Amino acid sequence: MMQLPRQAIVRILLSVLLILSLYLLSAATENSVRFGRLYLWLLLINGVVLVALLGLIVNNLWRLVRSVRARETGSRLTLRLMALFVVLAVVPGLVVYGFSMQFLQRGVDSWFDVRVENALDDALALSQASLDQRMRDMQQRLQDAARDLADVTEEMAPITLGDLRARTGASELALLGENGRIIAASSVDTADILPHRPEESILLQLRQGRPYVGLDPIENAGLHVRALVPAPGPGGPGSNRVLQGLFQVSPRIDNLAAEVETAFSEYRELAYLRGPLKDSFSLTLSLVLLLSLLFAVWSAFYLARRLVAPVSRLAEGTRAMAAGEYGTQLAPGGNDELGYLVRSFNDMSRRVADVRDAARHSQELVESQRAYLETVLGRLSSGVLALAPDGSLRTYNQAASAILSVPLSEGIGRPLSALVSRYPDFGPFVDLVAGYRQSPEPEWRAELSLDTSEGRRALICSGATLPGEGERGGEVIVFDDVTTLIQAQRDAAWGEVARRLAHEIRNPLTPIQLSAERLQHKVGTRLGGDEAALLQRSTETIIHQVEAMKEMVQAFSEYARPPALRPQAVDLNALVREVVELYQGEPEQPAFRLDLDEDLPWLQADPGRLRQLLNNLLRNALEAGEAGHCRVVVATRQGSGRYADMIELDVQDNGPGFAESMLNQLFEPYVSTKPRGSGLGLAIVKKIVEEHNGMIGARNVDGGARISVRLPRVMPGDARQGNEQ
Amino acid sequence: MAVFAQTDGFKVSELDIRVEDQLMLADARIDYALSSTATEALENGVALVIVQRLRLQQARWWWRDAVVVSQQRRYRLQYHAISRRYVLTWLESGESRSYRSLDALLLRLGRIQAWPVMRVDRLDEGGDYRLRLDTSLEVDKLPRLLRMVAWINPDWQLRSEPIYRELSP
Repeated sequence: MMQLPRQAIVRILLSVLLILSLYLLSAATENSVRFGRLYLWLLLINGVVLVALLGLIVNNLWRLVRSVRARETGSRLTLRLMALFVVLAVVPGLVVYGFSMQFLQRGVDSWFDVRVENALDDALALSQASLDQRMRDMQQRLQDAARDLADVTEEMAPITLGDLRARTGASELALLGENGRIIAASSVDTADILPHRPEESILLQLRQGRPYVGLDPIENAGLHVRALVPAPGPGGPGSNRVLQGLFQVSPRIDNLAAEVETAFSEYRELAYLRGPLKDSFSLTLSLVLLLSLLFAVWSAFYLARRLVAPVSRLAEGTRAMAAGEYGTQLAPGGNDELGYLVRSFNDMSRRVADVRDAARHSQELVESQRAYLETVLGRLSSGVLALAPDGSLRTYNQAASAILSVPLSEGIGRPLSALVSRYPDFGPFVDLVAGYRQSPEPEWRAELSLDTSEGRRALICSGATLPGEGERGGEVIVFDDVTTLIQAQRDAAWGEVARRLAHEIRNPLTPIQLSAERLQHKVGTRLGGDEAALLQRSTETIIHQVEAMKEMVQAFSEYARPPALRPQAVDLNALVREVVELYQGEPEQPAFRLDLDEDLPWLQADPGRLRQLLNNLLRNALEAGEAGHCRVVVATRQGSGRYADMIELDVQDNGPGFAESMLNQLFEPYVSTKPRGSGLGLAIVKKIVEEHNGMIGARNVDGGARISVRLPRVMPGDARQGNEQ
Repeated sequence: MAVFAQTDGFKVSELDIRVEDQLMLADARIDYALSSTATEALENGVALVIVQRLRLQQARWWWRDAVVVSQQRRYRLQYHAISRRYVLTWLESGESRSYRSLDALLLRLGRIQAWPVMRVDRLDEGGDYRLRLDTSLEVDKLPRLLRMVAWINPDWQLRSEPIYRELSP
């Protein structure tokens, strides 16, 4: 059940009232006994309604024009529908009105006929003529009677009048004196005590000596003839007496005359009322039509608005949809096609919104997957690169950037080779990848040794072609930095060697030394001269060399010894200054340049081991440089990027740099490019760095070599559980 | 001889009270002048009804006047075509008279003599009485079609202003 809007109810109520008032109006026109003065009120009320309707229409029209000017949605359609409704209502109404008016005029006029009118006039004239004849006759009779009264005195008059009345056949005779004074009277009808006194004008006429005769219609008594003649008394003609006689017309003539009179009167009245009749009908008809038309026009506004409202809403909704406001819901329309259209629009809008939500959801899913993948890739220690089919870089992870020591972010969307110009160390990797991209193999594996800003690195790379539409869908390259792994294997091997050496070599060294000393002691005293000197030199040599070998074995055993760190807060800058101070007193003083970060935070480390590390690094630098021209730069700084929680230490010399062939085994024991090097210095340094969970790298720079160390500011709890053997 | 001001409308020009045999009688003169519209209607066979209303009112200081007596006389005016005369019928009694001219009829209609109001001994001593007379054409008694027009057209609004006479104690 559709609920009617309030406006519709108001309109229905108004129209019912209007119809009622129009009905009353026409009823009042038809039968005014019942409605009496209501007619005036009805006219007034209808007039007020008319004015009110006109006002409403003007107001509506103005609003419509304003909305059309403002180009509001649906206003033009409303205007068109409005015009259509108005034309549909007004034109037939006016046609009907025109014809009705014509019928009314003609219909009323057709009741009147000239011939009938003439016939009635003739009938009247005929009646009058026939009555005139009788009237003259009666006047004659009366004049005769008046002559008989000529010598009758006023006292005798009543008696004579009775006779005269009987003779003349009058129903009433009266003798009047001066000024119509009644002298005597005689009447058939005894109820009429007093006869009528004649009018002044008749009396005047009689005074001039002219008799009067005329018809006198008497209520309930029919038509009478009244005649007055002068009746001079005994006093002569100057007495001014008048005899008045009233004669009844014969019943038949009376009836006929009454018929004619009635017909004539009614016809005359009808003819006279023709104008008012037409006027009142026209007025009622016009009022009814005007009110109906105005009401129709007013309703046309409402209907047009009501019809257009869903269309306007649809237009608005469509505009909103076009502007991307999916899910717009319109107010439901009725049960007609427009309502269906609105419902369909709402369904569509809802579905579009659902699709949008689904798309957004799947996008979020993809995003979260991507984030997940990025997280996974970011946490991977392996470097991952994805290349587009055209060889440009699509994605990479942090590990890839770190391993390659190249800011890959600069190369997104560009071929890898674009980075080579700025980062030449990156070249071999790019060449390797490019080579394999040309090959038809879907998968490949390769090892690569790469020089990076942080030292030489051993990489194991593997690549695979990504699935794609058509030919190649790009590449994914995964590579691992196995430098540490290889190093660890070597370290383990060296540790083993060192332990064996320490164990196997140290044992025979002491007996050798003791034997040499005993030889010196026992035999030296017995020999003389050159032999004694020879023995002396030989045994000393043996003892010195054994000493050296002991030191070497001691160093080895230290290298192999499991670490026992005592970490505490250390100011690295202070430590650097302290160690550098020790070298100031050396002969052929090296030139130190300290490039220390004053805001450097303290770090958790074993100060003893750090001092040893610095010692070894500085000694290494000094040994590399030429005596007397040695320049060493020591720099500390806070790490940045992914090394933000680390402290970096660089030691750079102005020596010849590391031999290319050595770069891979630089930190292994017994690897030294220096004539005086023991080969253990850097191995120990690397060990200390590893004990502190740090990183170390070495590379050649312009005019020397640089060793970079990165140490974490905070030692992890398990730092001391290193290679407990 | 009264000279009639020939303006349309009715006017009560005189109202007098006299007492005869303890009966209060009213004499009055009313000038009747029918509008041309009404005259034309009359001559076309339309009957007109004129009513004369007489009231005795007692003034009350605390409320409206009380109507002690209220009487009315209604007359019908007709034109009789055959006799070419104007007929005046007193509707209360059915008595009728015809006149040669309309003026004569109206003159007669306007002359009121000895209209009995009430017995004097029925009046309150020291009461504040006044007599009121007015007259009008009864539009409601016109043929219905004419009535429509009559309610709108001022030519048909024929009524006199009421005239009052205080009762001298």
